Amino acid sequence: MQLLDRIEKRRFVGREFLLWLWFESEMFEGTLSTAEHGAFGLWIEKSFTLSAGKETTRIKGAYPAGSREAKEALLRGKLPEACGLHISWRDQETSFTLKAEQMAFAGLRLPTVLGKDEDEAPKLLDEPGKAPPRKKRGPKKSDDESDEAHEAFYERMHLTRDVEGLVEALYRDFLGLRLGSAGATWSDVVLPALHAWSRGEAKQDADAYREASRAALGGRKPPRAARRAAGSRG
Amino acid sequence: MPALRGSLTYARFFVEGEPPDDFREKYMRAIRLRALRPLEPDDEALESSGWCKVGEPFELELGYEDVFFNEYLNLGLRTDRWVIPGPLLRRKLREAETAALAKKGRERLGRKEKAELKEMVSRKLRRDLVPAMRAADLSWSLEEGIVRFFSLSPRTTATMIDVFQRTFGVKLVPEAPYTLAERLGLGKAEQAAWESLEPTLLGTVEA
Repeated sequence: MQLLDRIEKRRFVGREFLLWLWFESEMFEGTLSTAEHGAFGLWIEKSFTLSAGKETTRIKGAYPAGSREAKEALLRGKLPEACGLHISWRDQETSFTLKAEQMAFAGLRLPTVLGKDEDEAPKLLDEPGKAPPRKKRGPKKSDDESDEAHEAFYERMHLTRDVEGLVEALYRDFLGLRLGSAGATWSDVVLPALHAWSRGEAKQDADAYREASRAALGGRKPPRAARRAAGSRG
Repeated sequence: MPALRGSLTYARFFVEGEPPDDFREKYMRAIRLRALRPLEPDDEALESSGWCKVGEPFELELGYEDVFFNEYLNLGLRTDRWVIPGPLLRRKLREAETAALAKKGRERLGRKEKAELKEMVSRKLRRDLVPAMRAADLSWSLEEGIVRFFSLSPRTTATMIDVFQRTFGVKLVPEAPYTLAERLGLGKAEQAAWESLEPTLLGTVEA
């Protein structure tokens, strides 16, 4: 099978990953963890899109995943296609939309320090009837300005890679559950809890689920990327 | 879509193949060769794509320091396209056809004559217009072998992949659940389960 065919045939895994994030963030009341990152806040916010074929449900709001429509869409066979995520980690807040089938990021807001003034829209733009201030034309940027731009870029990439690393660690844990024990972890541990949660049955025993799922992940080695990063730091 | 400011919207691509030893010089030459050539009204081409400075679509003369940010290679991809408003083209074409018929003393023009007239009118209109421009940034992390392309538009992405592969002679593989799983590394047992994985159904699939 060609690589592109294999990519197409596994796109649904990205949707299941978002479903699992939704489920775990509700189950653990917005506090998830990975072996590499420890505990952090993660919840769905602003936008949530579920779909199956041509049928799409788009929900907007402060906590769209908590709406009745979201669970109803799930029970009608729709799976998450994209969702707005908020992550609170190491005293930093980040939000973005994760697109399941491409594992692509949209609207990623980074807690940058450098180049801050450039990120903010000029206030006058918001005032009707007033033209925005005109930029002075001058010679090409000085070396200092160029250095600042480079530094701001490195900071953005550093923060971007942090967010990607966290999402990848979560995805690795998800794969560990999805594929562990030849699929038995998923069918015996995760799926029953997912079914009960999706039907809104009596509150799940979060501790029992956490224990069983973490035990399943317990014997797994850290992901290759994390091992590489640890090696380069050492 | 900018890489240097504001929020980031991007897709990732993995580079298959290693850069050559003297890649900085080679790549610089290749980038300059494929820098955007602005469209001219009399050109045959109606669309042109090529590299520009990251975040600055009008900067087409690229220097080393514009492109290499330590272990990152940063570029902008700019595409110019002639877009003539339909109603304007139709009106000018009608006027030209009326003038041509009067000059030739005929009632109808042949298909070839009409096509030539349309080409002439389009070319004339292009002299008064400015091509529509779209630009998106790209950042190639040479250390990671990852390209972050700051656009999710399928059309812009297809153009980027084409220009990138022709410039650098390496293949780009788009990020997806499959490629990410492969990159993170699956154990032997996981790989076997991965091969036979079927979708989870929680509800009733709608017809």
